[in-house]
Amino acid sequence: MTGNKTADPRKIFGAAVLETARENPDIVVLSADSGGSSGFGDYKKEFPDRYYEFGIMEQGVVGIASGLATTGKIPVFCAIAPFVTSRPYEMFRNDLGYMRQNVKIVGRNGGISYSDLGATHHSLEDFAIIRMIPGVTVLAPQDPGEIRAAVHAMLEHKGPVYMRIGNNPIPYLYDEKAFTIGKGHIVRGGKDVTIIVAGAMAGNVIDAADRLAHKGVGARVVAMPTVWPIDRELVEQSARQTGRLVTVEEHYVVGGLGTIVQEVCAEAFPVPVKKIGIPHQYATSGPYDELLSHYGLDAAGIEKTVLEFLKR
Amino acid sequence: MKADEMRALEYHAARCRRKVVRMVAAGKAGHMGGAMSCLDVLTALYFHAMNIDPQNPGMPERDRFVLSAGHKCMALYAVLCERGFFDESLLDTYGHLGTKLPGHPDMHKLPGVEANTGALGHGLSITVGMALGLKKEGCRVFTVMGDGELPEGSNWEAAAAAGHYGLDNICAFMDANGLQISGETRDIMDMEPITDKFTAFGWAVKAIDGNDMVQVVEALDTLPIEKGKPTAIVMYTVKGKGLSFAENQVGCHYWKPSAGDLSLVEKELDEAIERKKAAL
Repeated sequence: MTGNKTADPRKIFGAAVLETARENPDIVVLSADSGGSSGFGDYKKEFPDRYYEFGIMEQGVVGIASGLATTGKIPVFCAIAPFVTSRPYEMFRNDLGYMRQNVKIVGRNGGISYSDLGATHHSLEDFAIIRMIPGVTVLAPQDPGEIRAAVHAMLEHKGPVYMRIGNNPIPYLYDEKAFTIGKGHIVRGGKDVTIIVAGAMAGNVIDAADRLAHKGVGARVVAMPTVWPIDRELVEQSARQTGRLVTVEEHYVVGGLGTIVQEVCAEAFPVPVKKIGIPHQYATSGPYDELLSHYGLDAAGIEKTVLEFLKR
Repeated sequence: MKADEMRALEYHAARCRRKVVRMVAAGKAGHMGGAMSCLDVLTALYFHAMNIDPQNPGMPERDRFVLSAGHKCMALYAVLCERGFFDESLLDTYGHLGTKLPGHPDMHKLPGVEANTGALGHGLSITVGMALGLKKEGCRVFTVMGDGELPEGSNWEAAAAAGHYGLDNICAFMDANGLQISGETRDIMDMEPITDKFTAFGWAVKAIDGNDMVQVVEALDTLPIEKGKPTAIVMYTVKGKGLSFAENQVGCHYWKPSAGDLSLVEKELDEAIERKKAAL
């Protein structure tokens, strides 16, 4: 596994919001009985007057966040990913998107990371449905340092943002640097294929690239922590330079990063694209590592799919 | 309130009803019935109760108004226009390509509009957020909801939050005209007793005749009904109020008039304006 040191993404997220809130008095945190599990324990202690508990009413909270934002506040609302995306979708679309409100919605336990709790708690369509709302930025930062930097960037950005994080410990992968919304970055070079990754799968992709290197396959790894609007330039450049693209995400293989990459390539420089993710069906449940392996999202699975793809 | 001020409000309301018909004429159709039922309270809000400045619509310390029942937008446009937020020539663009007066309000197009409503069951949550954010500033937030939107569950999420946080800077008007597209509200989904429901959610509640300007003003002048509680005013109103052919008719929810219908209604409303003017 890449990197020995790991961190809980929710704690990193909550701590980063707290850091920013110390500098910016307009930041407020909203909870739908979800704040404690979202890493906001210390925030709540330090800023009790800027922490609003609503109980389990995600539709109401998104609308309330919109109203708060019209008064100049910067609401941050974090809960289990499907409950802040698909459940209050119309509130997200109208009250945040159409009203262009400066609200930050964070879906935690994204993808299949709530593995054993089953399909009601998985979030495998959030990239697809939220990017359909005009003006909303979709982020999926990849390691603890990038989550922290992305939180700062998200709170400086004016406008609605959806950020997805997981809940299982993730490895430190990158040197921490400022996060630029809309920009991807090349993690390692390679001439034979480019693997583009969003979110918490970055560590597995880097491990897969190591395994491929042992077999003589040079895989460029591109981190795409802004899923939407995607870094079109980097996608096109990778298509031109490596000829084949693979996308890896904890998301349905329809509608998410893979589809977005295909859209870009189809217009800019058509090349074969292989999408690795969850098939478009309700995912099964079980231990997280076993689920990832089941769906070919572990390093071995990614390696295997890439090798088969390159044979075609 | 003095009698002459009350008569002035009624005069403005009559002029606003005429403006609604002017928009329907421009757009060839519109949600007329509900616009007419809530017009008296909107007139009283913008000409009597709310701290607003048409010359400075973004004034930070202003009171806010959210039209939760966004399809009644012609009432809001009429009152904003009558109050001087925009030139009345815009009324003739209703229903036209690229208008600033779309069939549901857009805050980014027209000064004075505070929220993009239209999908029902959103306005009260937005109202609660505004009221939370403005409580310390002493600003009040008003909303008009339709009785037909009360079955939307999100309303009750917002109602619980307003009660929990004791947001006495909220006043929510239920425009209970008793009719919706498919028939009588009580037959479609009976939400009565509305007053009891809001009381149970921790609100202070009053029921009035929402087309009686005296009762509307009296309700506005005694806010909040109870310190530490949001206020709900259940207004029993007449759908299509002021248009004799339309009053209490289900079919007036969305009106596509013929040229003949229009001229009859315009005459009736012009006469109403003259009567109110003479009484000033």
